[in-house]
Amino acid sequence: MFKVVLHGVKSNEPMLLAVQIGNAARSAFLNYSHRRRCDVGGRRFFSVTCSLFGRGPPSRKEKKIVDIPGLERVTYADRMHFVPGLAKPIFPEWQRDWHDPHHYRGPNNEEMELHKENPCYVFNQRTKILEGVRQALWLTKSKLIQGLPEHILSLAEDPANQIEDQDERVQQAIRHSRFWDTTALRPKRDRFCPVLLRDLLHLCGTLQVKHTSLSKRILAENYRVAALWNRESDVFQVRGLNGMLLNSMTSLPAVAQSGEVLATENHTLETFYPISPTIDLQCTYVYDQKNDTGFRDGYPFPHPHTLFFTETEDSAAKFKPEQLRAKMIMFAFGNALARAKSLYGEHPQVLEHPVVVQSIATDGRLFQFIVLQLNTTDLGPDTGVKNLVWMDQDQLLYDYAKCRPLIKKKVVTVPAGLSGYQPETFKKFLALHLHGAV
Amino acid sequence: MQNPGHKLSNTIHRERGWRRHQRASRLVCCAVKLCACETVTSESVKGVMALSALARALGSLSLSASSNVAQRVRPAPLLSQTVKQATELCRYSSLPCSRLLLTVRKTSFCFGTQLQPWRGILTSAALCQNSTRWKQRTKYTIRPIGKKKTGGRDHTGKIRTHGIGGGHKQRYRMVDFQRLHFEAGKESEFFEEKVIEVRYDPCRSADIALVAGGSRKRWIIATENMQVGDVIKTSRTIGRMAVSANEGDSYPLGALPIGSLFNNLEIYPGKGAQYVRAAGTCGVLLRKVNGTAIVQLPSKRQIQVLETCMATVGRVSNVDHNKRIIGKAGRNRWLGIRPSSGLWQRKGGWAGRKIKPIPPMKSYVNLPSAAAAAGTTS
Repeated sequence: MFKVVLHGVKSNEPMLLAVQIGNAARSAFLNYSHRRRCDVGGRRFFSVTCSLFGRGPPSRKEKKIVDIPGLERVTYADRMHFVPGLAKPIFPEWQRDWHDPHHYRGPNNEEMELHKENPCYVFNQRTKILEGVRQALWLTKSKLIQGLPEHILSLAEDPANQIEDQDERVQQAIRHSRFWDTTALRPKRDRFCPVLLRDLLHLCGTLQVKHTSLSKRILAENYRVAALWNRESDVFQVRGLNGMLLNSMTSLPAVAQSGEVLATENHTLETFYPISPTIDLQCTYVYDQKNDTGFRDGYPFPHPHTLFFTETEDSAAKFKPEQLRAKMIMFAFGNALARAKSLYGEHPQVLEHPVVVQSIATDGRLFQFIVLQLNTTDLGPDTGVKNLVWMDQDQLLYDYAKCRPLIKKKVVTVPAGLSGYQPETFKKFLALHLHGAV
Repeated sequence: MQNPGHKLSNTIHRERGWRRHQRASRLVCCAVKLCACETVTSESVKGVMALSALARALGSLSLSASSNVAQRVRPAPLLSQTVKQATELCRYSSLPCSRLLLTVRKTSFCFGTQLQPWRGILTSAALCQNSTRWKQRTKYTIRPIGKKKTGGRDHTGKIRTHGIGGGHKQRYRMVDFQRLHFEAGKESEFFEEKVIEVRYDPCRSADIALVAGGSRKRWIIATENMQVGDVIKTSRTIGRMAVSANEGDSYPLGALPIGSLFNNLEIYPGKGAQYVRAAGTCGVLLRKVNGTAIVQLPSKRQIQVLETCMATVGRVSNVDHNKRIIGKAGRNRWLGIRPSSGLWQRKGGWAGRKIKPIPPMKSYVNLPSAAAAAGTTS
């Protein structure tokens, strides 16, 4: 048992003695707790107050304010200062009498004009969906075919369609973007990636001399697409800035003929139970039901041809290859659907003239190619004609572009400069560019 | 009219910390009220009284830099305001200002064993190093959250637990311990989830797994053989027959067969797992007694819980956690463990290994007592 031992306490006054006993007990308690170096649970200290056992800051018990209709609460509001017996007044919430943009609370979702009962799942430029390409295929009701269509690839094999010194000029373009475009040692990815893309597009554009219809195209950046569709009782939307779009005056011809299109009716879409297809999509109750290509009526280049995606340094925008391909499919589909709805109307139908949109994504070295053919806008049921997606993934343009050679154990393993150039990738790039013009 | 401040300031000296400051600031408010007092007609008298009251108030304030006072200096702007008001008043009085200020200084010096000559009033913001706002987040997210280290210090700033401090920075991942957590509006008898990722968690000894089901993802404690791509089931039905449970699945205790190993045990249904969460641990289901289940925890203690409490089948991941060798003092420091005091201390009865019998079975079930049952029937 713990005893309070008082050494040398001599006092005649009872008040002082009590205080001294209290102090002694308190210090003894503190000494004990200090020596044990832990909580003093298991020991009862009757001579010290319970405040010493407080584990945290004193908790303020919020008193419930009971509103009895007949009785009025007598508060100290009139007195303008606290009075012990009276209740705490409740003042009306203060409203700033001028609009301060830094302290503005917007209306609740329910009060917004565009509030709807059914939620909409939105895919925007930052969405990284969990299941990647499989989920994108389900959402767009598409069938995947590995590899690009042969008749497109054959366009680049034709020597008439090739650029003079094609390989050499492409390698110069790579060297320009990777080595020469900076005063520092090496340029960053968000600099060399768009520079490479522009250089390659410029190279492709030099063929305008031979094929004049190549000039009937224009590049557009920073445009926003909007496409809406219903898929199995859920509403989906594709919205936002996507990438650089190559628009053309004439539409792309259908890649797959009607036989192949009708054969897709037998294909079953892949599901991924237990994950729902709406995972990672932004669920919102306030949305505008609109289909917008991003360009006004009367725009001289109405048909979307190819969508280009580049990688940036922004950490929110870093995509893994699987998610990047899913984004390519979704935005190509969004552009195609918006165009189809503007041509053929909102009514869900199987399209007589399918809309074809291509998409190319690069991070400066790896290229992903996608060709999407929109065969139907009837996306509600799972059965019926499906859309088609041809995909060629992870195509290397070159192996290494080193500013400094890689030396392991005094042996140069990778030399400085461009090494491991693969001409096939640029041929595919050129083929997709020429598709529709040749 | 006796200066109310005089009596109050004497009592303030004996008080400590924030309470003293509070009373001092109340005194200052009295000084301000004095200025606004309508019964005193003469402006000069008002000014003098206000200033003397203010001086006494300032004399009672200890301007040492203690963290307690610094944190509760909310009336600091009020203080500067009252000084301003008092000086304004003295401008209108007949007495010269400088003389008044001198008297203020004198009085402050008389009372001012605590008050340094015009050190000034703390007007900075409160210290936010020990704020706990990082853990006030209510909305669930799988994104890791920045975590503040306490160093073993409590809300007063003193060390409450020794040997904690430093170590690698850690981010907290919100783990969902309530395994039977339905998605909003999708209640059912059971649901399945797929394991996306199993990774190390710096905040605990066990590994955590990112599982996705329906339209949501969440972190849970991973079991021993959980791999990426596994499908795990969570069910709340208790059938007549015990379920043949796979590792990683979660069932109520009443549905599990006797002798099965489990982890992440709830002791109150719906509260979330509180027991058997450490690396490599598992409990054993001993028997099931009309509506309750008796289980053995890893410490060999037996407890009785309702059979509707959820538990996950299998052992917790990271089984070899107790076999790891720290190897050097530095590794302990990386884990945030500071060295213990080197002072040799005489050990008393509390030290040394204790071999005690296992405490009796603890029941977390409020069974109706026999007397209550007799009362209702009669």
